[in-house]
Amino acid sequence: MSSILALKAVSKTFSDFWLRPTVKAVDALDLEVRKGEVFALLGPNGSGKSTTIKMILGLIEPTAGEISLFGMKPSCIEARRRLGYLPELSYLHPFLTARETLSYYAGLCSLDRKTASSRIDELLEMTDLAAAASRPVGTFSKGMARRVALASALIGKPEFLILDEPTSGLDPVSTDEVKTLVKTLAADGMTILMTSHLLADAGDVSNRVMILDHGRCAAEGDVAGIKGSLEEYFLSKISQRREFKVAPFLTGGAA
Amino acid sequence: MRPLLEIARLELRRLWRSRAVLALLGLSLAWMFATPHVLKSDGTPDGARELYVHFSLGGAFALTLIALASSAASSLSRERDEKRLQLTLVRPVRFFAVALARTIALVAVGAANLAVCAVVLAFSADTAIRCSRVVSPVMISPRAEAELMYDEFMKDPETPPEVKKTKKSVVLRLLTQKAVDNYQSIAPGETVSWDFGEVPGADSSRLAVRLRFTNDFDMREEVRGTFVYGGLSGVVSNITQAVVKVPLVRNGEEESPGAPAPRLSFTNAGETSLMLRPRRDINILVEEDSFAANLVRAYLELVSIMALVIAFAMLLGAGLGRSVAVFTCISFIFASVVSGDIIEQYPDQLETDRIDSIGLAITRAVQFVSRPVASLRPLAALSSDEMVEGGETAQVFALDFLLVPLVASLLCGAVMTRKKQ
Repeated sequence: MSSILALKAVSKTFSDFWLRPTVKAVDALDLEVRKGEVFALLGPNGSGKSTTIKMILGLIEPTAGEISLFGMKPSCIEARRRLGYLPELSYLHPFLTARETLSYYAGLCSLDRKTASSRIDELLEMTDLAAAASRPVGTFSKGMARRVALASALIGKPEFLILDEPTSGLDPVSTDEVKTLVKTLAADGMTILMTSHLLADAGDVSNRVMILDHGRCAAEGDVAGIKGSLEEYFLSKISQRREFKVAPFLTGGAA
Repeated sequence: MRPLLEIARLELRRLWRSRAVLALLGLSLAWMFATPHVLKSDGTPDGARELYVHFSLGGAFALTLIALASSAASSLSRERDEKRLQLTLVRPVRFFAVALARTIALVAVGAANLAVCAVVLAFSADTAIRCSRVVSPVMISPRAEAELMYDEFMKDPETPPEVKKTKKSVVLRLLTQKAVDNYQSIAPGETVSWDFGEVPGADSSRLAVRLRFTNDFDMREEVRGTFVYGGLSGVVSNITQAVVKVPLVRNGEEESPGAPAPRLSFTNAGETSLMLRPRRDINILVEEDSFAANLVRAYLELVSIMALVIAFAMLLGAGLGRSVAVFTCISFIFASVVSGDIIEQYPDQLETDRIDSIGLAITRAVQFVSRPVASLRPLAALSSDEMVEGGETAQVFALDFLLVPLVASLLCGAVMTRKKQ
């Protein structure tokens, strides 16, 4: 299978105003996503998942290393044309209706009006939003907003879809719907990179998994193959969990 | 092209649905209709028109400029803070197009708002007048005159020693300022003349001489005498108005064809000497165009100035946080307006200390880069019935409306590439 995305020894160090390094979010990361597979980046909060995604999207530049997206730099327009992205939160324009939101992103993808119109209808149907298409998205529930965001990511018919915590904040039914959708898209040949901190989500839909910890690869492989490593990793994390010391005034102690 | 239009449309929808457009239009119209009732002119149609142009249209323009500059400064920074910008930037769109499209949308709103105000002005004021091209006497430039004066000034024993130690460039700047304000004294019964070169349209248009005695102290002079310009002449007898227009009419003398351009002469028939600054106070007015045509040219220049400020504000918003960008933008507009007055208050840099000198240098730099905003030349010309020159309008339009927003948008693109999303 040919490679869609390749990261070679990619690092990202954030600096303060005086350019003094503050946090090393990603540390010498190697990653490859092959055509047609569903690849999951797993890790706890602060493990570097979102930073990695932003570098892949060309929103931030890596401090070191190389990123190749469709054999091009992520900032290349042609690479972005073949990409779809669902962020961790929906970030929709609240004053636009669902249809206008999709029409806006169709315009950004330079789709002609006829193609855009038919694709918008299909996506509204697919995400069960046809009845609410003329309502401002600012009035939508979180689940509905998430579906609009997902439809926006798919409007340009991308070859490669990046889903940043796609089930974040969704109820079990909506989570299951998203997983089913991911499986359907994968079955149609779409390459998908998703991030999650839930092993269950990633395990259900992905072919391969990488666990990130402090910006480094802790384990990588197919779900069945590294299940032992995964359990060991999460058990070790549980054993290292933080113990919060409850402030005395909350329990009636001295202030 | 499609992405550009979509982003511009999104910005327009945001402004419309947040009712910002309606609020701006309502405030502008309220200002346009209220000012003539609040402020009183001198009762003449000219005075009423000056009030309308200067305060009503000028105020509506200032309101529009500040509102849209604030909106431009917060446009990109707000989207970045709310993380919506990243959803646009991951699409196949060039970063500079994102800034350019927003600039276009804001300029369109400003242009529409100002157009409504201009139409109100055209129907409210007495606009059945013709505007005139202003011709000044042909004289050597103040700078050249300053250079001629320099050696003599430095050798003069009355020149203070600390001045003689000052850098030549500083002394030349002061002498240039003095040259602009050089007074000419015309004794009773004396006749003086000034060369105006070839006055375009002198044969076919109606001519007038304008004497303007307005200065910082609004001083008015008694002036009595006769102007003669070739076969035209005009008599002036005035002690009340600060600006005097003297129509020139045929005096029966025939001009020989092919003769060199005549000089404008003035014979002082008053009882006291007349003091005037030839570079500032005397002009020949050549009647050229209707008020409506002049208003259209002034409108185009004002919209161009607006585009310049919006593009600058957009650039600030691309690189800075929302509140810092808005504050910087408003401060810059304020500084550009007051910088001229500050420099006027300190005309002689030699009298100031080092800190003042640094402050003045910064103020001069601000004044230099913000000249179009600070001078508001089209409003000044329109209110005094002067021609807004077509060539000047084309130049301002090409530079401020087309080139600067394009360059600023390219810079925005570069800044957004570097800025963490």
